[in-house]
Amino acid sequence: MDSDEALYARVKRGDMLAFDDLYARYAPRLFGFLRPQLPTRADAEDVFHESLLATLENDEVAFDRGSFRTWLYRIARNLVLNRARSQGRGENAMARLAPLVDDPPPAADERAAQGQMLRALDGAVARLPSPLSEIYHLRSSGLSYEEMALVLGIPLGTLKSRMNQMVNVLREELKPWTAR
Amino acid sequence: MDCTLIQGHLIGYHFATVSDDERAEVEGHLVACTACLRTYLALKAHVDRGTTDDDVPSEAARLRLRAAVQTRFRPTPARRVGRWFTRPIPLYQGLAVAAAVVLAASLGPTLAHAIHLGPAAHAAERVDSARPSAESLTIY
Repeated sequence: MDSDEALYARVKRGDMLAFDDLYARYAPRLFGFLRPQLPTRADAEDVFHESLLATLENDEVAFDRGSFRTWLYRIARNLVLNRARSQGRGENAMARLAPLVDDPPPAADERAAQGQMLRALDGAVARLPSPLSEIYHLRSSGLSYEEMALVLGIPLGTLKSRMNQMVNVLREELKPWTAR
Repeated sequence: MDCTLIQGHLIGYHFATVSDDERAEVEGHLVACTACLRTYLALKAHVDRGTTDDDVPSEAARLRLRAAVQTRFRPTPARRVGRWFTRPIPLYQGLAVAAAVVLAASLGPTLAHAIHLGPAAHAAERVDSARPSAESLTIY
């Protein structure tokens, strides 16, 4: 199986089979990272499109300064931030999940309780402030701590500190569903 | 740790922010408690789910992107020529070229001189200059 970097080089030579492989590799995770941070599905598709194309076209991409994955997520993140500045963010994501916040108290059935906990988790994540929300979604996309630090442009120590903050916020939010 | 405390640590355990002692306690509990294990696995699957079918770009979006990439990176004659000049050269080819250059550099002046002067000049040069020429003989 070719590495991301090898597929990247083949795509730049016009090899569309390599593009299909790269797309299959990153479409679910990258779109999963983008979708919660953007108001509509169409916005997420646009940013996904721009991210992949910009990464392929960017002459500054050099794999001695980060893997293909870190470059892709870094560019995607910057595009999300640009959209957020121009459109305003947060409200639509919260509105999408707001009805779930007022769910009834947990039921006795384990599966129902798990479902309610997970919905509470989604609500808590939607309410996270932007720096912590980014970290949650990057980690959920499978990036390592080192890759996340590269994407966000922050030291590893700062990243770990924010990760701790994020977990503490989520733990507090999930207390009603875990402290039974 | 009882289940209540364990479940409070599951999110931190998943994101690897718990201490070594806490991790050991969580793991020890998960091995023994199937309810908490199921809860953890559900949490892990939910956080790491990446995407559901709803969370992938549409087929139309995929085709649009594919077409854009194909147009942008379609091989053209100019790109093919450029790639030929910038292609990586295998080591053995590079060494062969380097050896040829060195050989040409060392033999070049000799060959060039021979070509310039021609065969007659070579013959003249073979004359023993120590022998006196006719002009140098003086007959007294």
